[in-house]
Amino acid sequence: MSCKRFLTVLPLIALLLLVGVGSSQAVYRQQCPPDTDGVDTDGDGIVDNDNICVQIGGGDGYAVMGDGRHLYTFGFSAFGGPYTPDDVVNGTAPDPADAGNMWSDATNPGLVLGANFPAPTMHFKQGQKVFLTLHNVGMLIRPDLFDPHTVHYHGFPNVAAIFDGLPDSAVSINMGSSMTYFYNLVEPGTYMYHCHVEATEHMQMGMLGNFYVDPIQDNGSPITVNGKPYSKFAYNDINGATGYDVMMPLQIHSFDPVFHTEDETVQPLSFSTMRDVYPMFNGRGYPDTVNELTPTANPGDIDLILNKEGNFAQGMPALIKATAGDRVLLRVTSLSTTEHFTVISPSIPMKVVGNGAQIMRTNGDPTGTDLFYMTNSIRLGGGEATDVILDTTGVAPGTYFVYSRNLEQLSNNQEDFGGMMTEIIIQ
Amino acid sequence: MHRPTSKNWSRLLLVAGLLLLWVAGTAQAKVTGISGTFFDFTAKTDHISTGEGNSLLIYGYSIAGSRAQYPGPTLIVNQGDTITIRLTNNLPVSTSIIFPGHKAVASGGTAGILTQEAAPGGVVTYSFVADQPGTYLYQSGTNPALQMNMGLVGAIIVRPTGFDPAAPTAYGDASTAYDYEVLFLQTDMDSTYNELVEFGRSAEINLNDFHATYWFLNGRNGPDTLLPDNVSWLPTQPYNCLPRIHPGDKILIRWVGASRDAHPLHTHGNNFRLIARDGRLLSSGPGNGADLAVSDYTQTVNPGETYEGIFTWTGAAMDWDMYGHTAADNITLTDLVNNETGAAGPDGFDDNTYEYVADHEKPMPVTLPGIQELTFSPFYSGSPYLGGGAFLPPGEGGFNQHGGYYYMWHSHNEKELTNNNIFPGGMLTFLIVEPPGVAIQ
Ligand SMILES: [Ca+2]
Ligand SMILES: [Ca+2]
Ligand SMILES: [Ca+2]
Ligand SMILES: [Ca+2]
Ligand SMILES: [Cu+2]
Ligand SMILES: [Cu+2]
Repeated sequence: MSCKRFLTVLPLIALLLLVGVGSSQAVYRQQCPPDTDGVDTDGDGIVDNDNICVQIGGGDGYAVMGDGRHLYTFGFSAFGGPYTPDDVVNGTAPDPADAGNMWSDATNPGLVLGANFPAPTMHFKQGQKVFLTLHNVGMLIRPDLFDPHTVHYHGFPNVAAIFDGLPDSAVSINMGSSMTYFYNLVEPGTYMYHCHVEATEHMQMGMLGNFYVDPIQDNGSPITVNGKPYSKFAYNDINGATGYDVMMPLQIHSFDPVFHTEDETVQPLSFSTMRDVYPMFNGRGYPDTVNELTPTANPGDIDLILNKEGNFAQGMPALIKATAGDRVLLRVTSLSTTEHFTVISPSIPMKVVGNGAQIMRTNGDPTGTDLFYMTNSIRLGGGEATDVILDTTGVAPGTYFVYSRNLEQLSNNQEDFGGMMTEIIIQ
Repeated sequence: MHRPTSKNWSRLLLVAGLLLLWVAGTAQAKVTGISGTFFDFTAKTDHISTGEGNSLLIYGYSIAGSRAQYPGPTLIVNQGDTITIRLTNNLPVSTSIIFPGHKAVASGGTAGILTQEAAPGGVVTYSFVADQPGTYLYQSGTNPALQMNMGLVGAIIVRPTGFDPAAPTAYGDASTAYDYEVLFLQTDMDSTYNELVEFGRSAEINLNDFHATYWFLNGRNGPDTLLPDNVSWLPTQPYNCLPRIHPGDKILIRWVGASRDAHPLHTHGNNFRLIARDGRLLSSGPGNGADLAVSDYTQTVNPGETYEGIFTWTGAAMDWDMYGHTAADNITLTDLVNNETGAAGPDGFDDNTYEYVADHEKPMPVTLPGIQELTFSPFYSGSPYLGGGAFLPPGEGGFNQHGGYYYMWHSHNEKELTNNNIFPGGMLTFLIVEPPGVAIQ
């Protein structure tokens, strides 16, 4: 056992003695009331299925960089178990048996050392009412920390301060406790979510993920554009302008290994010298971005984590597959804590159709004038979102690339030809 | 980190003596600045305080023998006026001013690369016609990579022809009407430059090697951004950055990129409409208003660029009554007119308070955990309701007098939320949504 490995395991052993792994002592609770309003708010024709309940854990873990290096992370875990790429946190319907009880026991114990990177994707539908419970499961590798966590639903319109997840204006959730956030999803679009506690640290450490809301227009009859019917849309657009066949959320992240190591080894944190050398899409550096293997192990599997095998914590490939003629929607967001990134699609032009969770029309109004534009590049700083559609009509079958134009970001630290890049395979 | 955030804030706020935040009127309905057509600037050295308590040498502009200030005075002028700025240079190096977006002419001084310069002890005069409304930047035109870092930057606001302070607009067009306005002049600073200048070692500065250590809004770092204008202990940093509105009010945000790097400014609470860029309305043509405005929740402010956005917050469609009204309160709402246009007919909002009618008396769908399970912000009233207040654990809360909702407006490149390696700080402030009836000067 190397010295470093031993250092890592020491606090773990200490914590094992204290609480025992996997059987969290804390009683986690959620609020998941049944939908009894008698109104069909999500437009699927069913009145009593609009409440959606989601649970996530907030804690720590490890992520594997493209060059094989393991970095200590803070992150969110899917409370129900392993993290698979598609619609990871679609949520569950309430249990009618819970009617009348505000709090019910959480359905799964907290995943110790189970942080996912990026956080489990949140995918909902306009008109749903979301009860999102965050369980703060604590930091196994840093038992000296007693950090609270929050969920900040970045871009939620007209949010009340109590559900904004900003510890500096309302509340944050202590270790061993749970809080249920409530969101009435009246606006579709591309959002993101992250912990806002000590944001520079908790976000650099990885507490962030994809979040998008399908428009209610998806419920309607298909809209034909250029002879082709579409039934999935980025936004309510009236005329099908944002219709797509294939969708991929593409979240920009970047890690500074010095900072992660400082956090792991209980050193003072270097904020002003923060320098990210692991640029990523969806929590992976190329070529891991195009590895479609889904995690086989439970992200909380202590043996695998300590043996540092596999990318169990990173269940989100960014490989895009389409058939020529498809329209591909990329929901591009950035949660880098350090810098702006330019993302280019050099071969297949981008049509910008959305921005900041609103359609690219006057004032974000579906009835406004089209302000769509064609480009090959978009530039995003932290907290920005751009929706682009790639029309693959006439594109020859083959492999195409989407990547950061900042060329120093095409590397996994010292290893070149990696970093913030993924592939589009046109069949 | 080891301490709960509320403790970090408390520590910083107490250091800053922030109890003054209790005093209403810490934010202005309009941007603070100086008006007129002739401005007599003196460039000189002085010092600023940073959010974590450091002191840095700056170059700044002063007016009428006052201390130098960071940023320079915000010049608020009228469209069509001819503006004259006389610059007296009391710095040990030559300096000048340029006015991007304006056709300035210079007289006096000596020829520099970008404009006429004033040598140490010298005087140069600039004038330009403020021919277009909007938000602009002025800055040093002499060795700007150093002198802007040292503080020689400022904002110009040009009011449109026919400006009515009682019914203000940014561009004279109804689509640019607003109730309040706020300046977000964004700067960043590599403090090693300031230190080397202070110790007479300017020759060692490598201007190609810039690593910001401080980030500012209107010349202050968080949490000093929250303090009132003109607090005595920040004599060279007179401008605050703490906008306040009521539900339904429109606030015009004037972003100025006086920085070296680009900074993405995120507005918690809601999207804004981006109506203008570099002093030009986003419009397809005369009379069409801001018809090219897009909606967004983060504005990247690029160096040298300015932007204007209009933000509003109503709390609509939360699906619960944000005032906590119940049937027992026996409050009847009135919605007979469109609050924005004044036209007859309902718009979904109470005509007086902007309460969202459909959510009236709906209970909050979840209960909050017990107080032992939460860490509280000093800006939390203790109640999830707007205008509410409640019991908080001893030592918690206390900075939110009216039960307002606080939304952080901040750089989302989160490393910029620090002051020379100390979190929290940097490019952050709050928007406060105050309950109806709370006076905002
Ligand atoms: Ca329903
Ligand atoms: Ca339904
Ligand atoms: Ca933006
Ligand atoms: Ca009304
Ligand atoms: Cu956190
Ligand atoms: Cu955010």
